[in-house]
Amino acid sequence: MQLDRRSPLRARLGAAACVLLASAPAAPAAADTSTDPAPGASATQLELSGLVYGEKGRTDVLEPTVRVTRLFANGQSLTAEAGFDAMTGASPTGGVASLRTQTTTSASGQSTSIPASQVPTAMFRDQRESFDLGWSVPVGPFTATTGGHFSHEKDYRSLGANAVVTLDLLQKSVQLTGGAGMNRDRVDPVGGAVRGLTPGDPLGTAPDPKRVTSMLAGISRVMSRRWLAGVSATREVERGYLTEPYKVLDVLDPATLETAQQLREKRPELRTRTSVLASSTWHFGDAGGDVGYLNYRWYTDDWGVRSNTVDLKWRHDLDDRHWIQPHVRGYSQRQADFFRYYLVQGEPLPAFASSDERLGPLRTVTVGATYGFQVPNLPGEWSVRAEYLHQWGPGKLTRPQAAVAGGDDDGGDAANGGTVDLMPAVHIGSLLVSYSIGF
Amino acid sequence: MRTRMARTRSALAALLLALAALASGCAATIKPWDRDLLAQRKMKLVPSDREAATDRHVYFSKEGSTGGAGVGGGGCGCN
Amino acid sequence: MGAPGVARLERVDDHFAGRFTAMASPCEVLVDTDDPRVADAALEAAEHEARRVEAKFSRYRDDNVVYAINHAGGRPVAVDDETAALLDYARTCWDASGGRFDITSGALRRAWTFDGGDRVPDDATRRAALASVGWRRVTWRDRELTMPAGMELDFGGIGKEYAVDRAAARVAAVTAAAHVVNFGGDLFASGARRGGQPWAVGVDDPGRTGAAALWRLEFERGGLATSGDARRFVMHRGRRLGHILDPTTGWPVDGAPRSVTVLAATCLEAGTLSTLACLAGAGAKAFLDAQGVRYWIVE
Repeated sequence: MQLDRRSPLRARLGAAACVLLASAPAAPAAADTSTDPAPGASATQLELSGLVYGEKGRTDVLEPTVRVTRLFANGQSLTAEAGFDAMTGASPTGGVASLRTQTTTSASGQSTSIPASQVPTAMFRDQRESFDLGWSVPVGPFTATTGGHFSHEKDYRSLGANAVVTLDLLQKSVQLTGGAGMNRDRVDPVGGAVRGLTPGDPLGTAPDPKRVTSMLAGISRVMSRRWLAGVSATREVERGYLTEPYKVLDVLDPATLETAQQLREKRPELRTRTSVLASSTWHFGDAGGDVGYLNYRWYTDDWGVRSNTVDLKWRHDLDDRHWIQPHVRGYSQRQADFFRYYLVQGEPLPAFASSDERLGPLRTVTVGATYGFQVPNLPGEWSVRAEYLHQWGPGKLTRPQAAVAGGDDDGGDAANGGTVDLMPAVHIGSLLVSYSIGF
Repeated sequence: MRTRMARTRSALAALLLALAALASGCAATIKPWDRDLLAQRKMKLVPSDREAATDRHVYFSKEGSTGGAGVGGGGCGCN
Repeated sequence: MGAPGVARLERVDDHFAGRFTAMASPCEVLVDTDDPRVADAALEAAEHEARRVEAKFSRYRDDNVVYAINHAGGRPVAVDDETAALLDYARTCWDASGGRFDITSGALRRAWTFDGGDRVPDDATRRAALASVGWRRVTWRDRELTMPAGMELDFGGIGKEYAVDRAAARVAAVTAAAHVVNFGGDLFASGARRGGQPWAVGVDDPGRTGAAALWRLEFERGGLATSGDARRFVMHRGRRLGHILDPTTGWPVDGAPRSVTVLAATCLEAGTLSTLACLAGAGAKAFLDAQGVRYWIVE
């Protein structure tokens, strides 16, 4: 206690200060559900997630992942992630829907009959393991991050490494990013690789590995108290065997427009891609207000594919522990130069051709929402995201009449001509559940 | 129809313009007492890494475009 | 993203100085010892406490009790012992200052921009901001705080001084060596150095950053804090208005001194008295005279 004279005010303040300074700093209050590591202390963050994904009539995927991040007192951090994909279902072969049944051979060596007017698909079952490692070091205003990737499927192996440097300027109002990455993928098709634009002549050698080099540059900036914006550009060059080993191209008879022969597709051995992404995040109102995230991406490559993507997310906090975030995305793609729905017998063979719908003209619309919540008395944060994806494209084939003389095994289809959809609509639903906790 | 070269050039010009817009402006930094909203975890350009990674994988296998924000991730046999 | 700087320990003359950045301020711990391990332990204890208090009471985070209180939308929030004691202390200050020391007054900053320019809010804006201010609108009882939606608590006026006292207590638990904990100018000295020497502290000239200290103080034990509005102000009709706002009117306090430095028993007490002095405006000197503390004032 002070020996000098104290005013009544000081006595009151002193008494209150005594109580305050003697109070025990409690374990974090119930309202403190932070999973961010406390600054300056080492901390571990664990994230578990599971994705369930299904395409109507086609593929089903189950994908659990685990990610651990450890933050060290010196600001460095280490991240390790492992993922497992189990995929089953049917993938389009690239062939054209027929008015007669067809049989196709698949990668797994199984054979199947396709009902009329459906795009032929091949059954597959595959699984993929992937591992990623990343290490981040702050050096003054810079942060350097290096990472490595390894993944493996039955017929595909991928190895990758990357390095990214960010620079914070103007008290973290502006951030510059620069990075480069390399991938080396090897494909080992079941049954061996075949020569493109042949019915199935073997390639004779193992296909060249796919080597990818990519570069990234970006800038992001705090525009105001409630607005963040950023622009980034990436450029990727892929070299090597880029053809899809199981995709086929139908060659149609010019008179009946029925499939006369099937050839394997063929793509160039070089692809240069460029994309530019502009992002903006806007906080409405004050703390607790909504946040809108708007992205636009423009993409082009030297195969002729060009696309525009617009993505909008809207985060709304219901209260301290719950939030929802609806999401809508629109995508429009122009086809690759060598994309063909089919070839016609008698016409000269092009140098490259593919009927893979993913290189064709298509539109995708995605609608979904994420719900984030904390369970009372349980640490950690949960989020559940449900999305519906609808993809479609133009392209119809109308066949002349009397294509078929009666008496087919499958018990009938149009004896007259008909129109088939060359790129029927695809419906995909996905559910992503994540749980994140910090220690 | 403009040639591909001309389209790429004008796209790069638009990019440079956007970069210049971002880099310029009043180089006023945001004062510490105005960083209240920005300190929130939801104030990021990418709200969720996990969702972004999942999207990259899904759209890589269903569409013909990639990229925009990262480098050297993983490859898979799905495209 | 990125740690705000790694803590550094260095030897200065006959003692150790540890430095780090926290609470948007340069932080410093001086330990009067020759043993670097003792100094290191003291630095770690002080830094840990600084970051703990900042994380818990900063209004810039979305994951602490302050965020919970500011977003309860009018619903009651139960708080822990430490927060309860801090709220009790804030209420005592509010009561003892006739309502001028008010931790709900942060909302007033929405109306004012103290950048040296001449923009002053109009009456409507000022009154709108005032509608969200006033501890009398808060119910603080039975360890539960109920605050109308749209109001916010800001512990910025006492948080740093509180952190200094807490950190000094932790250092004292780790070593018997004399030490000074200084967070951005708010400091506490634990006692005389070896040989009976006092600590020497310089008080900055509020008008000129980086110039030689205005005063040099020597003392052995106590808390020292400075309040003032030299750097953030607005010009209005030729008059300079400081950034310390009177929560009962919504206007800057009239005649507040440029800088007040108070020496008291703890840093928290020193900080509270220097803030109250500024809030007393032209009556600052008389107020401080009545309290029986040593002080240094620049009008």
